[in-house]
Amino acid sequence: MTIEAARPLGLARPRLRRKAIDNIGLNSAAGHLLLVLLSIFCLFPVYWMVVTSLRPANATFETSLWPTAVSLENYAYALNAIPIMRMLVNTLVISAVVTVIQLFTGLLAAYAFARWRFRFDKLVYSLVALTWLVPLQVVMIPNYLLVANLGLLDSVAALILPHFTSALAILLLAQTVRSFPREVLEAARMDGAGSWRILWEVIAPNLRGTLASLAILIFISTWNEYFWPLLLSRTPENSVIQIGIQMFMTTEGTQWGPLMAASTMASLPVLIFYVVLQRQVIQSFMKSGIR
Amino acid sequence: MTIVPTATRPRRRARQSRISPWLYLLPAIVTLVIWIYWPLVDAARLSFFEWNMLPSSEPTFVGWRNYANIFSLPKFWLALRNTAIYVLGLLPLAVVLPLAIAIFTHDLPARSRNIYRAIIFVPMIIAPVVAAAVWRWLLDPGHGMINAGIRVLGLDPVRFLQDPKVAIWTVIVITGWKLIGFSTLILSAANANINPSLIEAARMDGASKWEIIRDVRLPLLSASVLFLVVMTILLGAQWSFSYINVLTGGGPLGATTNIYYLLWDFGFSSMSVGWSSASAVILFIGFGAIAFVLFRLIDRYSFHDN
Repeated sequence: MTIEAARPLGLARPRLRRKAIDNIGLNSAAGHLLLVLLSIFCLFPVYWMVVTSLRPANATFETSLWPTAVSLENYAYALNAIPIMRMLVNTLVISAVVTVIQLFTGLLAAYAFARWRFRFDKLVYSLVALTWLVPLQVVMIPNYLLVANLGLLDSVAALILPHFTSALAILLLAQTVRSFPREVLEAARMDGAGSWRILWEVIAPNLRGTLASLAILIFISTWNEYFWPLLLSRTPENSVIQIGIQMFMTTEGTQWGPLMAASTMASLPVLIFYVVLQRQVIQSFMKSGIR
Repeated sequence: MTIVPTATRPRRRARQSRISPWLYLLPAIVTLVIWIYWPLVDAARLSFFEWNMLPSSEPTFVGWRNYANIFSLPKFWLALRNTAIYVLGLLPLAVVLPLAIAIFTHDLPARSRNIYRAIIFVPMIIAPVVAAAVWRWLLDPGHGMINAGIRVLGLDPVRFLQDPKVAIWTVIVITGWKLIGFSTLILSAANANINPSLIEAARMDGASKWEIIRDVRLPLLSASVLFLVVMTILLGAQWSFSYINVLTGGGPLGATTNIYYLLWDFGFSSMSVGWSSASAVILFIGFGAIAFVLFRLIDRYSFHDN
């Protein structure tokens, strides 16, 4: 059902002339006003994060809307206080590996569902889809115990293993593979290509668009993931940047400047990605629902 | 001679096709069984035991006692009530407001719409922990920007995260901040997909602006609206977990604890595996029942355009 609701973006049908003329004026001014307010609400916190992080350490509490003097003190402090670089590298490695693995297992499973009718295929498909409905908090203790028994607590591997597959990737890819033209597959089969070769030489190259959009989604969600690291990491060296940010918020008090610097560093890769691939990022999120 | 291969090949293919799908499915199935389905069963088993997760202690069987204890715990009922508040509080931010914005702004020129779209989508890609950190800074009673504004108006600063009456609404607004742009885009896209000739036809018939919205646009948007409502009901309280954990730790006085945070609290603060697992089972069954009803409703009421 996440998929059904997907609507292609930017496909507004050409408007009728008369309507366009009707709506110039007061109405569209009000529309702009509404969207400007919403834009401020959405963007100001992010802007304020960057501005605060760039103020000199003794000017953290200034309220001028832009920094009067720019300084990287907060960044230097944050980088010294905790191993941020190490955490960023961990996060990058985990996100990249998870993305590749989920695409791989997702494509294999999707191919199985799309190509063959087999016993219990509907049942297995629904069981995959239903995992979407299991809250992480329900399964966290057995998962924690399993990781502990494997001796993997506080390791980067533990943050990758549970993410080996995702229902979202499987369902989305199954839908795309199903719509693949039968004749092309039939022709490849006639040429004597086995199912494995058909998958990698015929189907996968034609799915580049879907795979890329799914990769964006998986990468960003894994980068932003908080629950698993919270459950499974212990030391900063083996943890991810999201946990690092939290270390600047202690019960004794919050170091606002370094906190904003760490938050900016944690968001920068995703934000740069977004600025470059804005249209694609929005589309891949819209295509696949929220989770 | 020629008959033999044609007779065996289909049979070979048939046998292959019985095994191959399972081989392709293997990695996915193994992962889902290990990390989701088996843990579900295990959680159900652990809900009948008392255990503090220490390797040195043995789980002791206590039957239904964990369940009985949880149902008699005021904290549990408070968490359930709070879960309902989260969901109801999120609906205006995740559905109603975006719907109004989408309808109200549908005829802006494409170029400015693209700029707005790029901006209001930003919260969606910001990490929940970052969002929590930034809002904590904005809302700080002493130095936060928002309280500075409130003081300028001559009012007393609001303790957004420390006041038990206000804290839950603060967390709801932060959760909504992450979602409002996304919902608006979903609904704008659906709105843009409505066939303009339907609107034109209604106008020819003399329908007023408001009548067009009520009788043409809203029914055609109902599938998308229903989708967002269902997502919010099913996942809304879950989305707030990160904010609760980073910003309030469930407090003050349990005021922001919802059922998901309660499970976390039982499991990893009180170290009570039995209680956490029993509430996990209760949550899962309740959650499943709600999901079942909602999906039935979707089947019955979803309305397809064109």
